[in-house]
Amino acid sequence: MASSRDDFIIAIRSAFLKKETQQKFSLLSLLFISILIIILSSFNFKIVNNLRNTINEIVYRSSFVVSIPENLIINSYKTITEYSNFYDEYKLNKKKLENLKSKEVLNEIIVSENKELKNLIEDFTLTTSKILAKVIVDHDSPFLKTIIINKGSAEGLKIGTNIFDKNYLIGRVIETNFKTSRVLLLSDLNSSVPISITPGNIQAIVIGDGKNSGEIKYIKGNLIEEIQDQSIGYTSGTGDLFRSGVPVGRLTVNNESVYLNFYSDFSQLKYVFAEIEKKNVNQKNLSSQVDELTSSNQNTEAIKLKLLNDQIKILNETNSKFIEENKNLVSETENLNSININLKQIIKKQIDEINQNKTDQKELEFLRLNLLYSSKCQKSAFKKGYKIGTSEYRKCILNRGDY
Amino acid sequence: MISFQKKNWLYKVYTWLPVLVLYISVLNEFDFNYIDLQYFSFNFPFLLIFYFTLKEYSRFDFLLVFISGLVNDTVVGLPLGISSFSYILVCIFAAYLRNITIRPNLIKDWFYFLFIISLINSINYSVLFFFFSFELDIMFYVVNNFFTFLLYMPIISFFDKYLQAIND
Repeated sequence: MASSRDDFIIAIRSAFLKKETQQKFSLLSLLFISILIIILSSFNFKIVNNLRNTINEIVYRSSFVVSIPENLIINSYKTITEYSNFYDEYKLNKKKLENLKSKEVLNEIIVSENKELKNLIEDFTLTTSKILAKVIVDHDSPFLKTIIINKGSAEGLKIGTNIFDKNYLIGRVIETNFKTSRVLLLSDLNSSVPISITPGNIQAIVIGDGKNSGEIKYIKGNLIEEIQDQSIGYTSGTGDLFRSGVPVGRLTVNNESVYLNFYSDFSQLKYVFAEIEKKNVNQKNLSSQVDELTSSNQNTEAIKLKLLNDQIKILNETNSKFIEENKNLVSETENLNSININLKQIIKKQIDEINQNKTDQKELEFLRLNLLYSSKCQKSAFKKGYKIGTSEYRKCILNRGDY
Repeated sequence: MISFQKKNWLYKVYTWLPVLVLYISVLNEFDFNYIDLQYFSFNFPFLLIFYFTLKEYSRFDFLLVFISGLVNDTVVGLPLGISSFSYILVCIFAAYLRNITIRPNLIKDWFYFLFIISLINSINYSVLFFFFSFELDIMFYVVNNFFTFLLYMPIISFFDKYLQAIND
């Protein structure tokens, strides 16, 4: 028992510590160095980053050179198969081109409409410049779906820069070196893209499935049942990771899962576009002034003063208009008042006349009844009555002779 | 059979061939991914490192193996040092097997290889998942492990032929 344990310890010691004839380092020391490198690479030390960038630059170029024979064989095979299907593809392409031409007109209209709408809401529009980059390393690894392109921080690429194949989004930069960058493809398990699904304008997130498509997850409001087969997915711009409105792929509904088939074939990437973005304020009238604003403070003040002067000028003009209008209204009011006074006098006269008329009519009635009933109401030696001219007499006449 | 004159430059290149192939494979990520079989991949460096460490091949420098791991990490995009760690572990296990073996047995070596690649892939997966928060499909690792194990025999027989040519 003791001897077998000794053998085991001897074997372990020999495996770890013994340096062979040509070996410069023991395995144990190399093991510790590798652990140290893992720990250091997990921290963001500047010296480690610089070392990593240097290694990246050398290794990416070497990898590109080493991959040339393999790529040559693969490309030759693909070229041969392409030639054999050339005529059929030509026919299909011709049909597609006709359809696309008609769609392009519509697309141009939509783009211009979109620009106008963005101007209206005074949104930020992105002035972008796309630069062409060559894919120098693409091993189609089953673990991490990444590619290396020959443009880096020297060309203005930074972490998060969107990468396109034609007009389709394919990924974003996750690591930049001076002349090279690593792009995380949308199909990678670590990739997540916020998208809008049309029709329905449903918001969702696409997670790469590690193969060549993506799976729809985290749908807002659990609207999975409303998604139609062959719907279009385009970037929503949520989270500011990807530019909004970029087509990503078409959806396939499969039982309860929804998959996104990307428009671009990630295994066929040779050249891609990297979009370098600059934010500009998109106020149409102020665009030139805003440029001056950023250039110097003096210009800023001048623009502000100019704006204020313009505003004062407009206010003065409006004010003088109001004053003139006010004067007209005052004179009109005076006229109306005089008319009103005249009318009141007329009314008063008419009321007086009416009252006079009423009194005259009452007097006339009294006189008429007096002719008829004066004998009944008048006082005499033989009859009881009232003296003429008294109020009782008048009352008696009006009551037609009744006392 | 191929025969060399010992001081010929071609002979020197031939003796360095395992290291050259190792570097080509890590730079090229040589695993036939382009044949588009679902999940198909295998870890050629593991096979190569295991075999030549087991055979105690004199030109197979551990420092070069260590550097090739750094190169592999850079190409694949893994955190620096992960592959070096894996490759050195393969070397350690192979050296241990060599030290305890009196009479080599191909089948035993084969299953020992399965055990160590399973262990190393598990460590790799755990480190990447727990410490670096990588989202990884475990199926890729399982299938990669399986195919690396399956391809051990044909590739080993090819390497045997290579060593035989040198010894002759």
